[in-house]
Amino acid sequence: MMRTLDKYAAIFPVLVVYAVLFLLGLNMSGMWQLMATLLFYCALGQAFNIFLGMTGYVDFGYVAFVGMGTYGMAVTITSLAGTGLGGLTIIAGYIMALAFSGLLSLAVGAVALRLRGAYFAIATIGVNEGLRFLIEGTNLWGGSGGIIFTRQLNDILGKDASSALATFWADVLVLIIAVLAAITTIVYMRSKIGYALTALREDEDAAKVMGINVTMFKILAFMTSACFAGLLGATAWALKTPYVFPPEVFEIHYTIEAIIIVMLGGAGTLLGPVAGGLIYGIGKYVLSIVLPGFQLLIFAPLIIIIIVAFPDGVVGGIRNKFGHTALGRFIL
Amino acid sequence: MAALLRLENVSKRFGGIVALNQVNMEIQYGEFVGIVGPNGSGKTTLFNVINGVYFPDEGRVLFEDRDISRLPTHRRASIGLGRTFQIPRPFASATVRENVAVGAMFGSRGKETNVNESMLVAESIIERMGLSRHRDKKAELLTPVEKKLMEIARALAMKPKLLLMDEAMAGMHPGEIDRLVELLGGVAAEEEVAIVAMVEHVMRAVVGMAQKIIVLHQGEKICDAPAQEALNDPKVIECYLGYTPEEAS
Ligand SMILES: Nc1ncnc2c1ncn2[C@@H]1O[C@H](COP(=O)(O)OP(=O)(O)OP(=O)(O)O)[C@@H](O)[C@H]1O
Ligand SMILES: [Mg+2]
Repeated sequence: MMRTLDKYAAIFPVLVVYAVLFLLGLNMSGMWQLMATLLFYCALGQAFNIFLGMTGYVDFGYVAFVGMGTYGMAVTITSLAGTGLGGLTIIAGYIMALAFSGLLSLAVGAVALRLRGAYFAIATIGVNEGLRFLIEGTNLWGGSGGIIFTRQLNDILGKDASSALATFWADVLVLIIAVLAAITTIVYMRSKIGYALTALREDEDAAKVMGINVTMFKILAFMTSACFAGLLGATAWALKTPYVFPPEVFEIHYTIEAIIIVMLGGAGTLLGPVAGGLIYGIGKYVLSIVLPGFQLLIFAPLIIIIIVAFPDGVVGGIRNKFGHTALGRFIL
Repeated sequence: MAALLRLENVSKRFGGIVALNQVNMEIQYGEFVGIVGPNGSGKTTLFNVINGVYFPDEGRVLFEDRDISRLPTHRRASIGLGRTFQIPRPFASATVRENVAVGAMFGSRGKETNVNESMLVAESIIERMGLSRHRDKKAELLTPVEKKLMEIARALAMKPKLLLMDEAMAGMHPGEIDRLVELLGGVAAEEEVAIVAMVEHVMRAVVGMAQKIIVLHQGEKICDAPAQEALNDPKVIECYLGYTPEEAS
């Protein structure tokens, strides 16, 4: 029992941060939206880290999985509206979101994960852009007009419930997804999966020689990460704001944000994406108040300075310093 | 009993270069074999073909009578093929213990060893290789010789039936080589692992240990004989000296 606790001790700081954000949001008036935004950034980082951090592969098309999750929920709600399924529709929407992002990641992963380094990165940009043009060009799911499903959501849940969902419960669901992603990360890290991923991140050929089926483990990390992205899309981009437009959900800007969050905090660490999400989210918020319009001008060099000062990310840097102390087991 | 490893007429070409030309050879269970050959003679390519980095253009590779010519590398590892590299390739950010444990986790005993058991296996092998002091160090902080030793430990943790060592002794001084050879001899006998050590030059240490020496020259096997015999083979002397002993005298 003690050993199990010790093994998973590193999850506690993550849970503490999430609890603090949640309680701050609940108890301080006007803070909920900010806390919800921070939670979203943390969740996005946590989800992306399972692939980017653990394998070292950079997926520039990551946002496509968030987008597919959004579409999964949107398509389900529009087609099941009026069937009287009520709340079950939302569950069906989540299943569909998982199916969309999971299947896309399996298809993309099985092909693109045979490429390495920059070739993989370029291929993933192609997938993201290609998907967007496919939807717009073939008029799939409303084409470039997107899907607006505010009315259907109101029909299904009732007006009060759907507005409570948009302003509160969707954010709580994001928190739950963030926690699930953190638990998945530490379970992976502590199992053979984590060792396989570390080995292939460091040296793929040597990993094969050790008996590691590198393609299988890369696809596993890719799909896990994509499924969490899908859940996030279904929640933060569909349930919270009941419309979806291709240019928005395939916007590469979100992928860049996710990469920055993971790198700032520490790729491949458990606490890193949380630290990265907070630094990025708070930085962006503060600068938009202090220096509206100039925030990016200041923020970009700030990010570069942090990354130069902490090449392994903030958490990676702290771990290098204090990893051997008694506190070490809480820093992962 | 059938041979542990058999190569039948194996050829491998890179464009116009014939890196391996119709090579036949057998390795028996528990045997210690030295593979010798000058630069570019095809030693690393031979290992790459045995190990699945490349598939042969012609011929077959048989492991325990099973044709593995087209089996992916990781599957070969799980049936008992281990390997170390010419230039060590540690998992840099992982500790020495974690590196070695990866071998136990995914090698031939991978199916029945969980993470905790693998750590224990790693510790005993690390101790044996004399690396206990460095157990919790990141692998990237080791000296080149320590990295080599760690790679051997990692390969042994896989519990291979056949261990291929590419230039295992390069960069070590004679004392270290003697110690390593002795250690490997002990391991080979105890664990019944056949060891194929590849070296650039016929070295005293290897000659003393090896049951036989295979000499490669320009992709062809020119000698396959007990060590002393190989050393005195005129073809071997010619490939190293560039002329035959008769010509010289
Ligand atoms: N991937 C490759 N592409 C093209 N040519 C190659 C490749 N690998 C090996 N060769 C060529 O095949 C021949 C055999 O090379 P190999 O590396 O097997 O020799 P070696 O005996 O290991 O030499 P060394 O002592 O330098 O390690 C050389 O001529 C080499 O240039
Ligand atoms: Mg070589």
